[in-house]
Amino acid sequence: MSASMRFRVRLGKGDEMRFVSHLGYMRAFERAVRRARIPVAYSLGYHPHPKISFATALGVGMTSEAEYLDIELNLADSGELSTLEVFELLQAATPQGMPVIAACAAHGKPALASSIEWASYRANVQASIQPDLERAATELLASESAIAEINTKSGRRRADIRPMVRNISWRSGGVLECTLACGGRAHLRPQDLLAHLGLIGACVYRTGLYFTDRESGDLVSPMSVECTDLVMAMGFRPGELTRGS
Amino acid sequence: MVNKGLLETDILPNVSQPARYTGHELNARVGDHIGAEATMLLAFPDVYEVGMSYIGFKILYDIVNSNQAWAAERAFAPWPDMEAQMRAHGVPLYSLETYTSARDFDLMGFTLQYELTYSNVLCMLELAGIPARADERGEGDPIVIAGGPCASNPEPMAPFFDLVVVGDGEEAIADIMRATAQGKRDGASRADIVSRLAEIAGVYSPSLANRVERRVVADLDSAEYPRKFVVPFLEAVHDRVALEVMRGCSRGCRFCQAGMIYRPVRERGTANLCELAEALVRSSGYEELSLLSLSSADYTQVKELMSKLASKYGPEGIAVSLPSLRVDSFSIALARDAEKSRRTGLTFAPEAGTQRMRDIINKGVTEDDLMSAAADAFESGWDQIKLYFMIGLPFETFEDIDGIASLSRQVLELGRKVAKARGKARRAGVNVSVSSFVPKPHTPFQWFAQNSREQLEHKQLYLKERMRVRGLSVSFHDVRASHLEAAFARGDRRLAPVIQRAVQLGCRFDGWSEQFKPGLWHQAFADLDLDPSMWANAEYGLDDPLPWDHINMGVSREFLVREAQRAARGVTTPDCREASCSGCGACSGDVRVRLAGEFAASSRQGGGRA
Repeated sequence: MSASMRFRVRLGKGDEMRFVSHLGYMRAFERAVRRARIPVAYSLGYHPHPKISFATALGVGMTSEAEYLDIELNLADSGELSTLEVFELLQAATPQGMPVIAACAAHGKPALASSIEWASYRANVQASIQPDLERAATELLASESAIAEINTKSGRRRADIRPMVRNISWRSGGVLECTLACGGRAHLRPQDLLAHLGLIGACVYRTGLYFTDRESGDLVSPMSVECTDLVMAMGFRPGELTRGS
Repeated sequence: MVNKGLLETDILPNVSQPARYTGHELNARVGDHIGAEATMLLAFPDVYEVGMSYIGFKILYDIVNSNQAWAAERAFAPWPDMEAQMRAHGVPLYSLETYTSARDFDLMGFTLQYELTYSNVLCMLELAGIPARADERGEGDPIVIAGGPCASNPEPMAPFFDLVVVGDGEEAIADIMRATAQGKRDGASRADIVSRLAEIAGVYSPSLANRVERRVVADLDSAEYPRKFVVPFLEAVHDRVALEVMRGCSRGCRFCQAGMIYRPVRERGTANLCELAEALVRSSGYEELSLLSLSSADYTQVKELMSKLASKYGPEGIAVSLPSLRVDSFSIALARDAEKSRRTGLTFAPEAGTQRMRDIINKGVTEDDLMSAAADAFESGWDQIKLYFMIGLPFETFEDIDGIASLSRQVLELGRKVAKARGKARRAGVNVSVSSFVPKPHTPFQWFAQNSREQLEHKQLYLKERMRVRGLSVSFHDVRASHLEAAFARGDRRLAPVIQRAVQLGCRFDGWSEQFKPGLWHQAFADLDLDPSMWANAEYGLDDPLPWDHINMGVSREFLVREAQRAARGVTTPDCREASCSGCGACSGDVRVRLAGEFAASSRQGGGRA
């Protein structure tokens, strides 16, 4: 086996960390790696950085069960590490609010960040406004285009959000689910969709990040493409990191 | 408990840096505090990132929480945007650990690290719903205590504290927790517990105005030190493992309060430090380890310790750094070894521009020292050097100010020459930071007046004009802020109502230039018919009573007088570690200079836990 190996890790961002910035979240993970004494590889140069790359940033205030990252290990000195070992070392070292949900070995060439195209979210909707919201969502999905105010890195602007909305659906108990464009090519913040539909200030929870399968056009998990040795946290229940309110 | 849901939905999304207010950091105390026998809210009157950088705060937090029966939690000054939200929603000041309202703690302990945080103390008390003045508090209000370096003259803030702890806090805080728990068991009244706490050594009671002698940890090597740091999610100002290698400094710079009140020099042993470093590195995951003290290059075994730590942690990508450099080649060599890959900038503090002035302040640095240290630094690859100077020192003339300009230019020219010789594309640069002298209590310069604001402003303009050179950048401290700092440092109780008035008018975070509101301070003083220059610019006679006479910080008045007189004659006083005892009075009984060599033989398993 080669001296360097890449692992893909799925983390959660719980209530305890929801107001931590993406930078703070990354830093907290790097420190967890150091506490776990996992032999992470470092970049060369004047300012060596651990080779950890996150798929995409999560907005401050949101919680998530789908924060993916790739981490490259230098196993020249330590010898081989199994996915299970990496998983367990990390699980013991991450702080409250950063549960390790899954880990696998990653073999694919394309970088994680540039492959992410879609993200799914969940938000609780009060019963009183649910009918209005449902109507607005149905209308949006039926239309060809929908111009809305959105926030981008370069500020607020108006844009057609319809191509960036793949799906909106409802779960029992007034939970809205949606799948939106995510990543460098096109990105829609869930808060902007919700505001367009008439819901402001909701607690939003990220439930998934996806690649697009080139042949079928289906959405696939970052851990289903060119990944092996998947380890999943025992007892993990989707939705458990979301807030009740 | 405060309403967490309200915070999360209506408040935190609307403030900058919300992670300042949410806690849950790694190694923060977890669990309920309801069952604790005594609870302390450690309150830092500045923003989270500043407070989380202060080692004294970490030490106290650790000592209290290492006892299962006690609980210490944290609160920092909310930034004005958060303060406004808290007021609008009726959310009181709360602890980051359990979101408990400040009012529900037995004790509230403020760290007074800097005079310009005084307004934040009152703001925090108000947000907590605790009456500002101790004499307005009653049963059910926490006992409000202050400590830290500014407690060495507590008078301007004295009416706001039930008690003030003077000196090292390690032992005093345990005494306070114990006595509070006992008082509660006995069913004692609040007033009764306050008077019991006032009996503890090193505790000053503003209502009794008693004489008090500072607490001092005789043997730092066996004193408690945290083995776990709370690791912030936000980047703190000093976000790293800080290893306190020693306390105290006997170089004897005559303006330096820390150099006087923390005497004598007490080092920790290297075996203990290595073990603490290991525990802290492993429990935190920090990427940097720094040797902390007033002058770490003076730690007797600094070279051995640095190389041991660097060879152990360097390969893991953990940098070992030395934050306080002396102006000499030895320090540069240490910094070179430490910073193999992180060439940022180096900072030197010659403090004054001429040899005459450096002799007056007893800064044992010559021009040759500075030039050879700078040459070493440039040749070792640093191309940005920062120089610290002070203006407004006693006996200063314009020649001394000229000296600052010419010394800075010489360093710049040297840097250019070295850069040219090495064929480096990047230009050498020198950043000069100029602060205004603030006379501090318990120093040989405590009697001297600060220059008037007009004088200081004039000197700043003069110096600026002399420094308009490409490659030199100069920054100055706000004169109005330094003026206020001097008034509070040398002030008495007449200032308390002024501070209270200023807070009413809206003064907060006065140490932050973008928040400092000199106009409101001016109004606060005027409203009480007072003026800060009554304290900042007062020249005290050597025989005059001083507002801090009742606070004994170890160094004797006779020593300070002697040093003031030697300053007037331009005579230096050598460091007692290198020459004979200078008779400062800080050593007595068990309390004496303790160097690392003393502890060499004892390799302790317990890591210095008593």
